[in-house]
Amino acid sequence: MGQLDTLLITAAQAVIILLMSPFVVGLIRKVKARLQCRQGANLLQPYSDLTKLLRKGVVVSTNTSWLFTATPYILFASTFAASLLVPVFLSRIPLNFAGDVITVVSLLTLGTFFLMLAGLDAGSAFGGMGSSREAIIFSLTEPAMILSIFAVGLTAGSTNLSTIVHNTALMNGILTDPPPHLMALAALFIVTLAETGRVPVDNPATHLELTMIHEAMVLEYSGRYLALIEWASAMKLLLFLTLLSNIFVPWGIATEPEPVWMAMAVGAWAVKVSALAVVIGVFESMFAKLRLFRVTDLLGVAFILALLALIFYYILRG
Amino acid sequence: MPLSLHPDLGSQLINLCSMLLLLTTFAIVAQRRLSACVDLFALQSLFLAVTAAVVAWFTDSPHIYIAALLTIAIKTVTIPMILKKVIERVNVKREIEFVINIPPSLLICGALVILAFSVTEPIAKLGFLLTRDSLAIALAIVLIGFFMMIARKKAVTQIVGFLMMENGLFLGATASAYGMPLIVELGVFFDVLVAALIIGVYTHRLQDTFDSVDTTKLTGLKE
Amino acid sequence: MNAALLILIAAPLAACLLSLVVRTRPAMERLQLGHAVVLWAAMAAVVAGVVMGGHGGSHGEGGVSFGPLLHTDPLSAFMDLMLAFVGGTALVYASGYMGEELSRGHLNFPRYRRFFIYFDLFLFAMMLAVNLDNIALMWIAVEASTISAALSVGFDRTKAALEAGWKYIVLNFVGIALALFGTVLVYYTSEHVLGVSMEALSWVSLHRVAGELNPVVLKMAFVFVMIGYGTKAGVAPMHTWLPDAHAEAPTPISAMLSGLMLNLGLYAVLRLKSIVDPAVGPAFAGSIMLSLGLLSMAIAAAFMLIQRDYKRLLAYSSIEHMGIAFIGLGVGGPLGLFGGFFHMINHALAKSAAFYAAGMVLLRHGHKMIDRVTGLARQTPAIGGGLLLAAIALAGLPPFGLFVSEVLIATAAYRHHHGIAYLFLALLALAFATLIAPLTRMALGKPVEAQLAVAHGSDRLMTSALGINLAAMSVIGLLMPAFFLDLFMPMTALFEAKAGLP
Repeated sequence: MGQLDTLLITAAQAVIILLMSPFVVGLIRKVKARLQCRQGANLLQPYSDLTKLLRKGVVVSTNTSWLFTATPYILFASTFAASLLVPVFLSRIPLNFAGDVITVVSLLTLGTFFLMLAGLDAGSAFGGMGSSREAIIFSLTEPAMILSIFAVGLTAGSTNLSTIVHNTALMNGILTDPPPHLMALAALFIVTLAETGRVPVDNPATHLELTMIHEAMVLEYSGRYLALIEWASAMKLLLFLTLLSNIFVPWGIATEPEPVWMAMAVGAWAVKVSALAVVIGVFESMFAKLRLFRVTDLLGVAFILALLALIFYYILRG
Repeated sequence: MPLSLHPDLGSQLINLCSMLLLLTTFAIVAQRRLSACVDLFALQSLFLAVTAAVVAWFTDSPHIYIAALLTIAIKTVTIPMILKKVIERVNVKREIEFVINIPPSLLICGALVILAFSVTEPIAKLGFLLTRDSLAIALAIVLIGFFMMIARKKAVTQIVGFLMMENGLFLGATASAYGMPLIVELGVFFDVLVAALIIGVYTHRLQDTFDSVDTTKLTGLKE
Repeated sequence: MNAALLILIAAPLAACLLSLVVRTRPAMERLQLGHAVVLWAAMAAVVAGVVMGGHGGSHGEGGVSFGPLLHTDPLSAFMDLMLAFVGGTALVYASGYMGEELSRGHLNFPRYRRFFIYFDLFLFAMMLAVNLDNIALMWIAVEASTISAALSVGFDRTKAALEAGWKYIVLNFVGIALALFGTVLVYYTSEHVLGVSMEALSWVSLHRVAGELNPVVLKMAFVFVMIGYGTKAGVAPMHTWLPDAHAEAPTPISAMLSGLMLNLGLYAVLRLKSIVDPAVGPAFAGSIMLSLGLLSMAIAAAFMLIQRDYKRLLAYSSIEHMGIAFIGLGVGGPLGLFGGFFHMINHALAKSAAFYAAGMVLLRHGHKMIDRVTGLARQTPAIGGGLLLAAIALAGLPPFGLFVSEVLIATAAYRHHHGIAYLFLALLALAFATLIAPLTRMALGKPVEAQLAVAHGSDRLMTSALGINLAAMSVIGLLMPAFFLDLFMPMTALFEAKAGLP
């Protein structure tokens, strides 16, 4: 791999994640609208929303500190950095020396951490409520997330995401060893719903005081700050979908940097991610949002499944 | 990159399908709404039918297709319908009541899965099972169904537990032993159907006599 | 082809179907009495056929068969003998008992009829179960008997009966499901030897190739079957449904459960033991049965001490006696096996007789309190005497058969391990005291309560059922007919008779 190739591949991956993420959000909204027998907004509506917000001015409360203005940038930057470490269309990405799955998780955690602080910073009741709820959910999803990726990592023999994806792609993906993989997949799917604030944990479509979590935290933001936060959460969603599809069904991903394979891999990735987005849309239409205190049950399932997948490997395959 | 077919793709597919059954089992344990429990049971039975069909395809034993069709007819359609009627009739509160709450239930179920795998390990090691894990998964489902019957208060959830046990048994018979002979399968199906009906009848009588289907209220008989 | 075998199994089914169209009580009584007579005749023919060494037809070996699925070997014939004999007297008794309930207005006619439909179905399922030469079909028949008995246990729609019925359903259905898992495991190992076919499920074939089956799988299968069918046999710690069901079911059903259904569970465990033993040695299954048997005896003896309800007292006594049979058959060896089988049949006769008497007491007194029933021998000599005889037999006093079998089992246990024999005798003594004291108090002493009148016709039927059972029990115990030995010897051959527990 030459210098130029490395640069090109990294840039391509960054651009794809950046540009595709609003589309996925639009796709989920469209699926939900269709299932509710509505026409629904255009698939590209999120792009228009973002450009509109980016052009608008910003209102900042006088009670806030530097944290409030810095958070959108930190969130966006950390999510973007994390997205560079996740293989999208090439299993051995050039930046894989820079960190493993733990780095990815901690980058995402960093963004969420600052977002929670910013929610508290403005001193509004909603922000504080949102932050405290986010903290509960976050502390429950994180272990399940790490455990479920580790369970797959054990089969692949590494905690490096790139190596995991590469090795499972060389084997048979989820068919290599279905029981632990399927448990980890179910766990990571629940984690995805919780982390990206989807039904049944949170509802991204409402601003109802009693139920909102993510929306409550960012209630004080406006203009380009809000645009950055929305964009970052769209990227986070796409990142999780990419993780789900490339860890468990890495079929189609390019294992060598050949241009033709990579082009095909981009297509395969787009299909898989869109399919997952449709599944999430259907899921959101089928289930009602859980009461906050019931969310722990769902996350408990995720944690137990992830733990089982891990124990499974040590006790029964070791 | 082309999809490389693993030599024992069939057995891995069967493992995958049986694992889907186990996942629905967990979903049922974590479920609070009674009607959702019944729906999930119907889904589980559907997965069971798919598993049976996959086994039939890979082992070339056509009689299992009949068993798969019967599973759909009886366990995905008829029995859930009966259960829904029972729920409607006895006017059960929508939320399930627990003897053991959900999070500890899940931990126990996790332990049961591990138990099932370690108990069946000597058999799996013999190496002539159709798949490596199906028997263990089947046993895990049987044990979790058993646990459901103990850990839930409502008569209807206990029926679901019993039916889950039956699903596990059927999975064990199909996925580890190529299915029992057809006449046996038919007899088992008939028995399960009648058993579900009888429990339904009993639930009605409980409701009529005790004004409730909470089985923890059955405390008249003791030493 | 043996027509008697077919008649034996078809008679209960035919009676069940005919019951559907019966419209009067006398017609129902005639039908059920006729049914009992047919059962006895067919049973006599089948047992005679097996004892004389019938032609096996397609199944080879001894025994009689009908078609590819029905096969009666000596063990099945033994069960036939017990089922048909006690089933027949239970039919006679039920005609009287339910007739009395009908004439008192406790039941309307459709429910009266329904009782016999359930009863005949129950008998049919059990009859089928013991004659099928197929482990999985046997499971189906056993499950069918569990289901039909479930309907009968909750027959009186009182709160207590429903509660007992629910407990019965939950525990027995779970048990039967676990037994199916064991059955699947057996099939799984046998199909590797016999191929994917019905033959891989046949008891005869399984017994023939038992030595080649995989011991690991068989061990696991036996554990599941032991828990599953053990629940049905009422051994501790799966016995908790038993006292409730026996106390709350209509009395003829209590007699059937105690005398027959428990033995059916034991029969199923024994069948499996006969194919597990050659592969893993008798010590594995034997020691499980031995320890569960001892536990059952201990629990039953302890709980009999605090019983105030005479039907529950008899129910706990059943747990104790099943425990004794499990010990005898678990210890094995010629003495243990002979003692165990002899115990099974004597207990079936004595316990159903005791329940017949208890039911007649219940009809006359309207309650089940031990304390309030005294002086039966003076008020109604037939019932008092019958209860006393049954109590003497159940307590294991000579001259009845249970005394003989308990001595045999104690001797077998002593040869196996002295400590176990002492424990066995101590538990036996405890159970003796806790059973005989309340029952003699009921039979003897001064009457305190006035009795309700029972119609003469019904009473005659019930008394004759009691009489027949007691007579049969005495004949077996005192004379021990020669054909018993002819039947028992080949039965013990199913098991490595010489190789009991070390």
